[in-house]
Amino acid sequence: MDIPMDRKNIDHGNYVAAPLSGGVRVEGGRSAREIFILRGGQDVVPPQCYTVEAGSILDLTVIVLPGVSARVPLTVDLLGEGAQANLSGIFLSSGDDKVDFDITMNHRVGKCKSTQLFNGVAAGNARCGFFGRIVVAPDAQQTEAFQTNHNILLGDEAKVETKPRLEIYADDVKCSHGATIGKLNEEEQYYMRSRGIPEAEAKVLQMISFVAPVIASLPETDAEGKPCREAVAQAVEEAIRAI
Amino acid sequence: MNDILLEIKDLHAKAGDKEILKGIDLTIRKGEIHAVMGPNGAGKSTLSAVLTGKPSYEVTSGSVTFMGQDLLAMKPEERAWAGLFLSFQYPIEIPGVSITNFMKTAINSKRKAQGLEPMKAGEFLKLMKEKMALVQMRAEFAKREVNVGFSGGEKKRNEIFQMAMLDPSLAILDETDSGLDVDALKIVADGVNSLHTPEKSAIVITHYQKLLEYVRPDIVHVLKAGRIVKTGGRELIDMIEKDGFEQFHNND
Repeated sequence: MDIPMDRKNIDHGNYVAAPLSGGVRVEGGRSAREIFILRGGQDVVPPQCYTVEAGSILDLTVIVLPGVSARVPLTVDLLGEGAQANLSGIFLSSGDDKVDFDITMNHRVGKCKSTQLFNGVAAGNARCGFFGRIVVAPDAQQTEAFQTNHNILLGDEAKVETKPRLEIYADDVKCSHGATIGKLNEEEQYYMRSRGIPEAEAKVLQMISFVAPVIASLPETDAEGKPCREAVAQAVEEAIRAI
Repeated sequence: MNDILLEIKDLHAKAGDKEILKGIDLTIRKGEIHAVMGPNGAGKSTLSAVLTGKPSYEVTSGSVTFMGQDLLAMKPEERAWAGLFLSFQYPIEIPGVSITNFMKTAINSKRKAQGLEPMKAGEFLKLMKEKMALVQMRAEFAKREVNVGFSGGEKKRNEIFQMAMLDPSLAILDETDSGLDVDALKIVADGVNSLHTPEKSAIVITHYQKLLEYVRPDIVHVLKAGRIVKTGGRELIDMIEKDGFEQFHNND
């Protein structure tokens, strides 16, 4: 079979389409907004698989508070043109918590868009992992897929492993990934302390600042009109103070 | 008893292995405005960093007394509570933290350290409004994230706004004029001047004379290679304007 000229650089050879994952369907041009908060002693775990059809949008946020050890697998299939998925998350881990995000974003058709924004803080003896895969199928031209994972280590014993993985088989795409692991910035701390904010409080503000992009992406109210962003921000702040 | 606010004696400090301050002596009395001028790399910013307790600097010898207390033994936040303020040359951005929240935390931290209750919400908002007007900041400013997306002028106005909120006895303005256009410079200078009282002092650090046309210093120091090589009145500003810093030399 002849390969059309405009496909000649496409690496069909190695692409193996994973079986469709099924799971929760977002379809009919609908927008779905899901927020999961995992707290110690509770078993709220998000569904593992989502399928997003043409013109539909999935916004999903997972927040893991201290005292939780969990593996959070998430697979999203973008199945129709114009489908969009925005995944975000925060993990605040301390003590002996073990938290792993394991994400696969399948761009199976063209003109879909996905974003991933995950920020994590690991304190104490916590072990955290972010494994984020973006797979762009050979036919998924004009894909836009972006992934960011930033991590802060609060102590010498805490560990974070981050592993972004992009598998791109199409040639007309915009994709990026960025991952960092660092510690709290001392310049910022000094600035705040020079204003009379004690070191411990400065660190709290820094962590609030660090997770702020995820909080900012939350809607002000949920589907039932109850306060959402503020409530989540409060829960997160409490957790940060308790770390 | 006496009117000495700050007394620096033979201060030596280094960053890493490099000695930057090589014996600074400086006395500031209540009500005085001092200008510290000098070429790039003279140690001007190091002096302000050391006075406010920036962790990356090490004082190797000398002493600093602030209102009778050993300043060098205090943490940066304790120095702020005691009445010291630094307007940063490069103010830091803090995304996700609003100016309101930032200032509320700063003011209430000081009150807590003094054994006072947190400031009442109404009183705080009134104070914010009053001090924002001082640097011509619009109401929306209170909700903005600290320095995020601010222009150079806005950042410096925000520094002066914070200074007004915290009401320090000694304010250090580190290159507050850098990157400002004339209008912003005037706003900043008016803010500084209106905060000045016979009880309060300021150190204006600069290597230009622009700001000093608006904020008039009583005493001018020339800092070169980590030492104050000349102290005088405002006539020094004109000498520097005319012939630069080359004319001043280390005596030993």
